[in-house]
Amino acid sequence: MATKSTLSIGIDVGSTTTKAVLLDAKRNVVTQYLLATGASAQKSVQKCLDELRKSSQQDLTVVPVISTGYGRRQALNAIKSVTEITCHSVGVHHLNPEIRTLIDIGGQDSKVIRIGTDGRPLDFELNDKCSAGTGRFLEVMARVLEVSINELGSLSLKAKRPSTISSTCTVFAESEVIGRIGTGESPSDIAAGVHKAMASKIATLSQRVGVKSPVSVTGGVALNPGFLYYLAQAIQTELWVPREPQYTGALGAAILALGGGE
Amino acid sequence: MAPDATTTPKEKAYRKLNTSKLLRDTMTLHILSTKQASQQGRLAWVTSGFPVEIPVAFDVTAAYPEQYGAIVGSEKCGPLLCGFAEELGFSQELCSYARSSIGSVKNPQQSPLTGLPTPQALLACNNICGTVLSWYEAVSEMTGAPVYLVDMPPLEGDQPSHHLSYVKSKLEGLIEFLSQTFNQDYDEEKLIQVAELSNEAVSLWTRALEACRHKPTPLNCADRFLSMAPIVALRGTQQAISFYQAFLAEVQDRVKNNVGAIVDEKVRLLWDNIPPWFTIYNFFNTLAKKGVSFPADSYTHAWSANIPRGEILESIAKVYSNVYLNKGLTAKIDKMCSLIKDYDLEGFVLFSVRSCKRYSLGQMVTKEEITRRTGVPGVIIEGDMVDSQQYNEAQVETRVEALLEMIV
Repeated sequence: MATKSTLSIGIDVGSTTTKAVLLDAKRNVVTQYLLATGASAQKSVQKCLDELRKSSQQDLTVVPVISTGYGRRQALNAIKSVTEITCHSVGVHHLNPEIRTLIDIGGQDSKVIRIGTDGRPLDFELNDKCSAGTGRFLEVMARVLEVSINELGSLSLKAKRPSTISSTCTVFAESEVIGRIGTGESPSDIAAGVHKAMASKIATLSQRVGVKSPVSVTGGVALNPGFLYYLAQAIQTELWVPREPQYTGALGAAILALGGGE
Repeated sequence: MAPDATTTPKEKAYRKLNTSKLLRDTMTLHILSTKQASQQGRLAWVTSGFPVEIPVAFDVTAAYPEQYGAIVGSEKCGPLLCGFAEELGFSQELCSYARSSIGSVKNPQQSPLTGLPTPQALLACNNICGTVLSWYEAVSEMTGAPVYLVDMPPLEGDQPSHHLSYVKSKLEGLIEFLSQTFNQDYDEEKLIQVAELSNEAVSLWTRALEACRHKPTPLNCADRFLSMAPIVALRGTQQAISFYQAFLAEVQDRVKNNVGAIVDEKVRLLWDNIPPWFTIYNFFNTLAKKGVSFPADSYTHAWSANIPRGEILESIAKVYSNVYLNKGLTAKIDKMCSLIKDYDLEGFVLFSVRSCKRYSLGQMVTKEEITRRTGVPGVIIEGDMVDSQQYNEAQVETRVEALLEMIV
C-alpha cells in the first residue's frame, strides 16, 4: 500500500515549457515554477526542482515526484510517470470538480478530455500529428504579424471584419496570412481570422469526444483572450479557465504523488 | 529449457512458443516451394482473402504479397521499398503492402529474400479491399503475368441469391482462367478434397484462437500474428494441418497447466487491425512487461470460417463473400463486441493504419459504438503496418498508457 506524503511534487515536462508544483498535504500550492524546456528536458527538470527547493527553503530530496508530459521519462527521480491526460483531469477536477470536459492546448498538441465525477478521464482525443490547433500555430502567426504571442489575443479582439483563414495547415496558413497582409487587411482582422481557424479545429476535435458542460480550457493558450472568445463561439458554450492554466498538469501530478501515485 | 509457470527474476515478461521453430521451418519450406513452383511455371500471387482452394486444386502454388509485406515490415525496410514504388510515381497514400510489393518487383536485389518469385498468374479478390486490383495490374505490367479478379461486391446483411450467383460465376471464370493459364483440366473431386483439408486447418486454428478465452491467455497478439502465416499461405494443404495440430497441442498444454503467454497477466485488451510489423515485438512485449495481454484481435479471427457442405463452388462463394471486411461496419463492430464479451476483455486498441483505408475506415464511430455497447473504454492509435515513417512511438505510447490509466 502506498504511503501518504506530507509534501509532493508534480512536474509537467511539455514540449515548450516545463512546469513544477510543490504541494502540501492539504493540497495547497507551496510554490511553483515554470521555464522553457529547451534542448535538455533533464536539465529543465533539475532546474525546476532547484527552484522549488530555493523558494520553499525545504529539503525536497525525499519528497515524492510524479512526472507527466511528453518528456515525462526524463524526470529520472520521479516515482512514476503518468500521462498528461490523467494529470490534467485530476488537476482541473481539484480546481473545479464540476468540470466535465477539458480542452488543453499545449505547445505541440491539443487534447479534449471527458472527465468523470471522480476526476478521472472517461474518454479523450489528441491532436498531436499536426501543429494547427496547438500553441505553435499561434506562435508562427504572431511572428508573421510582428506582435508578441501575448499581444496576439488582445489584437484579435479589436477586429472589425475577421479575415477568413481557410487552411488547416500551419505552413499553408502562414502563406495565407502573408497573402492577407498583401491585400491590405488589418493585423487585428487577420489575428481574429487566425484565432477563428484554430478555434474551429479545436471544436472539431471536441465533437469527437462530445462536449459536456461545464467546459474548462487549460494550457498556456488558455491565457489568450482572443482564442477563448472564438472557441466559446465555435463550441457554443461558456468556458471556465483556472487562474494559472498552464500549471494544471503539474498540479494533477502532484496530487497523485501525494497519494503515493495511486 | 521449456517455459513453465513460475517467474524467476531473469524470466522475460512473455513466453516464446515451442512451436516457433516448426513455424519457421514450415514457412521456409513454403518459400522454397514457391521458388520451385515459379521455375516450373506454376506460381500464382494471391490476395489474403482469395478462395485459394481453387488454384491449389489446380496444383498451383500460392505466394502472398501481403505476407511478403509483413516480412518487409519486420525487416524494417518498408521505407526503402515503398520509396522504390514512390519513385515510379505511386502515391505515399497508397497501401504500403502494395508499395513494398511493387518496390520489390522494381528492385529485387535490394529486397528481403530478393522479392517473391516471379508469378505466372496474379489472382486478386476484392473482398478484403479494392486496391488489390490496381496493385496486381501494376505488377502485371512489370512481370507480364495475367491478372484474374474474383469480384465480390460488398454485402450488408444476408447474401441475396443474385449476389451469390454473381460470385459463383466469377469462380467459374476463375476455373476457366486457371485451366487455360496452367493447361490443366478442372477436377471437382480434387477441389472438394482441398476444401476439406482447408476446413481441417481452419478448425484447428479456430480452436487455438478460442483457447485464448482462458485466463491467462495462452497466446498474445504477436503469437497469433506470426502463427497465422500457414492459415493464410497454406490453406488446403497437409502442411497447414500438421503445423496447427502441433500448435493447438501446445496451446492446450498451456491452458491445462495455466501457463500464460505473458508471465503476469493483469489487463486483457482487444486489438483491431494489422499490426505495425516493424515494431510488433517491441509494442506487445513492452506492454507485456506491464501485465497487458491481448487475448483476441479482429484480424487473425478473419480466417476462422469453414467452407460449408453443399455444391462446392456455391459454398466457396458463400464463405468468401461473407468475410467481415466485405460486410460493412456493423458486422465488424458486432464481431469486436462479441470478442470483448466472450474473451472477458477490459478495453480495446484500434490501430488506425494510415495506408489500409479499408480496414481502418470508420474507427471513430466503431470506438464510440463498442464503448456504448460493452461499457469498456478504447483508444485509437495511428501508424502504419509497413511504413515506419508514419509511426510515432511517443504518441502511441501516450494514448495506450492513458487507456491503461482509465482501466486500472
